[in-house]
Amino acid sequence: MRFSLRWKIVGGYSLLLLLIALLGWVTLTLFASLRNVQRSVFNEAIPELVAVDEIVRSYTAQSGAVRGYLIGSNPQLINQYNSEVANAQTWQGEARRLLKPRRDKRLLGQLVVSGRQFQELVDERVIPLASGGRRSQAFRVLSEEGAPLISRVETLGGLLRRAQDEKVARSETDIRTNANRTIVTLVLVLIGALGIGIVLAVVLPGRLVANISTLVEATRGIGRGDFNQELDIHSGDEIEELGTRLSEMQLGLKRLQQLAFQDRELEIAASIQQNLLQRTLPVVPGARVVPLQRQANRVGGDWYDVDYFGRTLTVAIGDASGKGIAAALMGTVALTVLRAERRLGAGPKRAVEQANRALKEATDRDAFTTLIYVTLDVTSGEMRWMNMGHPPPFVLRSPGGGEAPRGHYLQGARNRALGWFEDPGLGETVDSLQPGDKLILFTDGWLEAKSPGGEIYGEHRFAEDLSRCATADSALLGEELVKRVEAFSAGRLDDDLTMLVVERSEVEMVPAVPEETREEVGEA
Amino acid sequence: MPQQKIEIETTKESDHYVLSPSGDLDVYTVGSLRDTIAQLLEDKVTRLVVDLDKVPFMDSSGLGALMGGVRRAREAGGDLAIACTREQHLKLFEITGFGEGVTIAPTVEEAAKGLRSNS
Repeated sequence: MRFSLRWKIVGGYSLLLLLIALLGWVTLTLFASLRNVQRSVFNEAIPELVAVDEIVRSYTAQSGAVRGYLIGSNPQLINQYNSEVANAQTWQGEARRLLKPRRDKRLLGQLVVSGRQFQELVDERVIPLASGGRRSQAFRVLSEEGAPLISRVETLGGLLRRAQDEKVARSETDIRTNANRTIVTLVLVLIGALGIGIVLAVVLPGRLVANISTLVEATRGIGRGDFNQELDIHSGDEIEELGTRLSEMQLGLKRLQQLAFQDRELEIAASIQQNLLQRTLPVVPGARVVPLQRQANRVGGDWYDVDYFGRTLTVAIGDASGKGIAAALMGTVALTVLRAERRLGAGPKRAVEQANRALKEATDRDAFTTLIYVTLDVTSGEMRWMNMGHPPPFVLRSPGGGEAPRGHYLQGARNRALGWFEDPGLGETVDSLQPGDKLILFTDGWLEAKSPGGEIYGEHRFAEDLSRCATADSALLGEELVKRVEAFSAGRLDDDLTMLVVERSEVEMVPAVPEETREEVGEA
Repeated sequence: MPQQKIEIETTKESDHYVLSPSGDLDVYTVGSLRDTIAQLLEDKVTRLVVDLDKVPFMDSSGLGALMGGVRRAREAGGDLAIACTREQHLKLFEITGFGEGVTIAPTVEEAAKGLRSNS
């Protein structure tokens, strides 16, 4: 059975109070019992004894008065006799009222009959004989017939007195029995109260203190960083509840510790990624590249790469499926292979093909990477691009003559995402980028931004907003778009936003960049 | 990242199972779909149709899980087909190139008919 601490304390003290009440009740019963005995002795036995004594004494006195009268002829003795007769009647009435047992009533009846017979003898024969001068005859009648009646009265009186003595003796025995029983009950109740008191005062607090000590020890252990404390408390009260909560807290802290370790690992991963990818953008005569990246997490799957060699500007933007470290690692694989292949002199197709192979081998079956790989001859403006399962690039064409640029998605050869297909296709599209034109490469985080109502930002809004911002400086274009997407999603963007704006500018002559001065740029 | 559950109704048909996820299929919920497919394949159920009718949004993680499912089902001797009429999802299949080589049909019945027999 489970009781809260409060109910245990309340229950314990209630039990104690109950015992005290029981003790009081037993004591009161004892007094009541004694009073009953007292009442039977003082209210019944003693008055009965007095009444019987008075009756016997009265008849003895009647006999004495008549006898005196016969000897001395003193008329006052007749008056005394009459007074004793009345006295005997009074006490007989009192005795009838007091005596309850049938035997006592019978004895009293016989006594009264003997008394009445004595009085009749005196009244009808003894006094008339004495009055007639025949005193000796009267005396003889009194002695021969009256004395036995008085003797019988005394005998019956003695029997009644003995009955009352027995009643008193019985009462005394009752008192002794009741007193003994009460003492035994009192002792038992006291022992019980003492036992319960000991349980309440020693055992319960002892268990409580033991459980609290367990909690304190566990808390100390947790404080030292040991999150494997075992709390085995089954008291069924708040202490057990506290133990359960402490265990949960311990689990939470353990999880937090793990998260802290993971966070540290994430920090290291982010640092490695930054060190690997972050470079200064190359200075490109005839073109300007402005990157923008807003990562939803510390590491992400979006990446870009900018390289300038000879007269060729290479710009790539990629997006590894998923999020977090796994996506970041995929991005790193793709970027590393693309760079390595370029350094080995591979063209775009070869580089992308090798990246596909590496990703297919390195990543799991649910992962893939999309990318757009662009090469731009900064002198002629010829632009070649490959789309590997990525959203198409957007271009803002400058019509010249001070008119606002017009924008549209670039249509071209579509290939498949990397890391999944044996042959993703390597179709290339040739286009051109004229001075003032802006090529915008982006990842799907822009298009997949959601409004609080669940509506998708989508390619149409993106195109419209880009066209609206067409006159903005390339350096500010991305930020302007971020504001619009953030406004659409009410500030709740949970995907990476990456954008590269490549703006071509007029150049008279573009010097080739020697191999040793090449710089690579990338960021994830 | 915290994983959330997505409700996936699984219905047994004569020779295949139909999986109907309800809700966004993104990086946060994709684990449910991946686990359901893995469990069915483990139970030797290799002919699957995923109905995207009740999936309003799907990102690259969701697409990756579907394509991973296709690959695993085929390796197990079966196939996974997709029933989808949502333009946004179809566009995602088209852009990434995953639409090629995978059965994508407007209805579950048509998708089931397109299931390959590799066993």
